[in-house]
Amino acid sequence: MRDMKVFCCLFIQFSQVINGTSCSAVMTSLGSSSSSTTEYVVRVPKNTSKKYNIMAFNAGDKVSCSTWTQARMERDMSNRRIYGEEETQEGAAGSEFGKKQREEARRKKYGIVTKEFKVEDQPWILKVNGKAGRRFKGLKKGGVTENASYYIFTQCADGAFEAFPVHSWYNFTPQAKHRTLTAEEAEEEWGRRNKVVNHFSIMLQRRLRGQERGEEDEEEGEKGGKKKKKGGRGGDLRIHDLEDDLEMSSDESDGSNGDDDEAKSKAKKDKGPKGKGKKKKKKGSDLEGFEDSDDGDFEGLEVDYMSDESSSEEEEPEKTKPNKGEDVPKGIDEMSDSEEESEEENKNEEDGKEEEEEEDGKKTPVQVEKKKKKDSSGESDSSEDSDIEGEAASALFMKKRTPPKRGGGRGSAGSSRTGSRPGTPSIDNAATSNTLRAAANKLEQGKRQTTVPSSETPAAKRLKMEPSPQSSSGNGTPQPASGKSTPSSSDVLLTEDAVRRYLIRKPMTTKDLLKKFQTKRTGLSSEQTVNVLAQILKRLNPERKNINDKMHFYLTE
Amino acid sequence: MSDKGQFVDLTRAKQHTGVWLVKVPKYLSQQWAKAPGRGEVGKLKIGKAQGKTAVSFSLNEELTVVQCSGEKVSSVRSPREHPFTMQTVGGQTLAVFTETSDKLALEGMVVQRAECRPAVSESYMKLKKLQIEESTKPLRFSQKLEKAITTNYKPVSNHSHNVEYEKRKKEEGKRARADKQKVLEMLFSAFEKHQYYNIRDLVDITKQPVIYLKEILREIGVYNSRGPHKSTWELKPEYRHYEEGQEDEEEKIE
Repeated sequence: MRDMKVFCCLFIQFSQVINGTSCSAVMTSLGSSSSSTTEYVVRVPKNTSKKYNIMAFNAGDKVSCSTWTQARMERDMSNRRIYGEEETQEGAAGSEFGKKQREEARRKKYGIVTKEFKVEDQPWILKVNGKAGRRFKGLKKGGVTENASYYIFTQCADGAFEAFPVHSWYNFTPQAKHRTLTAEEAEEEWGRRNKVVNHFSIMLQRRLRGQERGEEDEEEGEKGGKKKKKGGRGGDLRIHDLEDDLEMSSDESDGSNGDDDEAKSKAKKDKGPKGKGKKKKKKGSDLEGFEDSDDGDFEGLEVDYMSDESSSEEEEPEKTKPNKGEDVPKGIDEMSDSEEESEEENKNEEDGKEEEEEEDGKKTPVQVEKKKKKDSSGESDSSEDSDIEGEAASALFMKKRTPPKRGGGRGSAGSSRTGSRPGTPSIDNAATSNTLRAAANKLEQGKRQTTVPSSETPAAKRLKMEPSPQSSSGNGTPQPASGKSTPSSSDVLLTEDAVRRYLIRKPMTTKDLLKKFQTKRTGLSSEQTVNVLAQILKRLNPERKNINDKMHFYLTE
Repeated sequence: MSDKGQFVDLTRAKQHTGVWLVKVPKYLSQQWAKAPGRGEVGKLKIGKAQGKTAVSFSLNEELTVVQCSGEKVSSVRSPREHPFTMQTVGGQTLAVFTETSDKLALEGMVVQRAECRPAVSESYMKLKKLQIEESTKPLRFSQKLEKAITTNYKPVSNHSHNVEYEKRKKEEGKRARADKQKVLEMLFSAFEKHQYYNIRDLVDITKQPVIYLKEILREIGVYNSRGPHKSTWELKPEYRHYEEGQEDEEEKIE
């Protein structure tokens, strides 16, 4: 018997050396010239309470049981709800007398047969090597024991074989730990397959989307430097102003929703790792014209900056804007901006701003979400458009967006993120109002298209930004940065067009206007902003109206 | 999630135990089920002939008796010799795990697959013929009766079932109106168990005449004519305390 141990694994190649063993098993070796046989007794044990099952893995999965240090297995009971009877233990409240019987009688009457939930037939979940190891799901294979029986032959210590019947067969497949696309998402991506070059970004965006939704601010770093696909597509139709931003302007030729954007972004991405996974949902806005500040954020803008008008906060529309345009030059630097991050939050939601351009009406605060570099952190105001003004070229792209992008719609996709957007709301508060007027004359910055890198939202826009910086060129050197003095194409660019747009849409006070062009966003200092704004207003010469005892400016087309 | 589930005993897997997976014909496994004693069923012969390995299984003599249904005496015996066809495990990695009522264990890996075929012989052919005959028999068949059955559907003056029913009803008698308080107690205790009741069920529970019961119910309850619990009675909101006892309700009535 001891000699039999050698036959443990490869029975076929056993050697015929067993001769005259003392084991009780019948083993005779017939020595003959060319053949020799050994005989083994076969036993079928009768009283086993053990049930033998087969665990089948695909050879391609390269599963080796010897490498397992620890394995846990349990039944997958997730189907119990479907097949099992939901035994809702109803207490006194809400329950009817004899409800169960009535339900049963009703089912019988209609011949409804519910499949029984058999624990025996449920799949197995196998977890190997703990939490970090692999997971497998084992589905029962039917029909194994119907026509033929499988037996497991093992060799015992005494050399005899024992045969155990196989009770059931389970096919185990590895379960993916990485995120996969859902059916809807997959369909979407399929539609864009011709445009999408960088497939990595698809999952990237999906992950970002997931994070936005609930987890955290977009992961700036996560994709650091990786191309982020803009635009989280997928079902989120998020309107965000920064469409343009997101879309790297130059390539954005598509006006179509997101898809095009994506494609564009793709191209852009290649240009440079924007890193930020922000999804820019630019729906074709890139190519649109300049983003006008949609939403009448500026209800009534005080012409006279001397007075301290409280600006009506049009926060919402503004919010969406923040992301605009900045992206262009932003690139990685932007991403690092923390401000952006904070802003991201709102913007993050925006991933799907598909409709950005499309509808003016859509400019809802949702746009704020824009993941794109919403540089101006969260400020709701601004975002709107301003960026576009800046670079002509980039502006074109962005213009696609619907002008009234609330906050989100920065059409200017990459290109010009119009630089001077005052990033910080502080401007509103302030003091600058007084000087605005005064500074009007000195201002020349209507065209500060410098992209304010400050808040370049890291996200996907990065890619977009790449081309846009080129286009915008001057505007915006993508300076990383918060608080750059040079106007960078952040979301907001303090241009005349931008201001005009705001004023046309709704009367605004000077404070409101200032809010729209926050220093953070535009990269201008508050004083500069004031000056520029003053100049612009002087040029525009808007009409004044007193609303709520505050002086509002407005323009009529 | 990785904390759930039973541990799988990997000791035998670590020993690199190898097993064979053998496909065995149904009749053979049936014969094996009849093995006496320790369960010896036969002998496995592994031989090497001209460089090729030949594996064959011989069934023990006593197990070759095939049990067949019907009155026929078994003159058919299953074949004894069964050569094995060896196959590779190639495309799949097969492992064997066992499940007892409380434990899961990995027994080993399959290193060889085989098919047990009977050596074709006269007796095998006869066996197969028998099997086919059995399987082609329909499960249901019509049988002619010699005598007609006359014991059912005889006319009766009053069916036994009916007789019983009437007797039961007579015993029960008409329902008497009990004390209002008692009825209320009964109702409240019933409504503690369930929120909605059919009037029929309440009558059964309280054994009160319907009209009287309805009067009482109108005082303390409300009738749902529409909605998910259609045509059911429930307590009025002020009487409902589904977490409390019934005393409060009683007090309310007073």
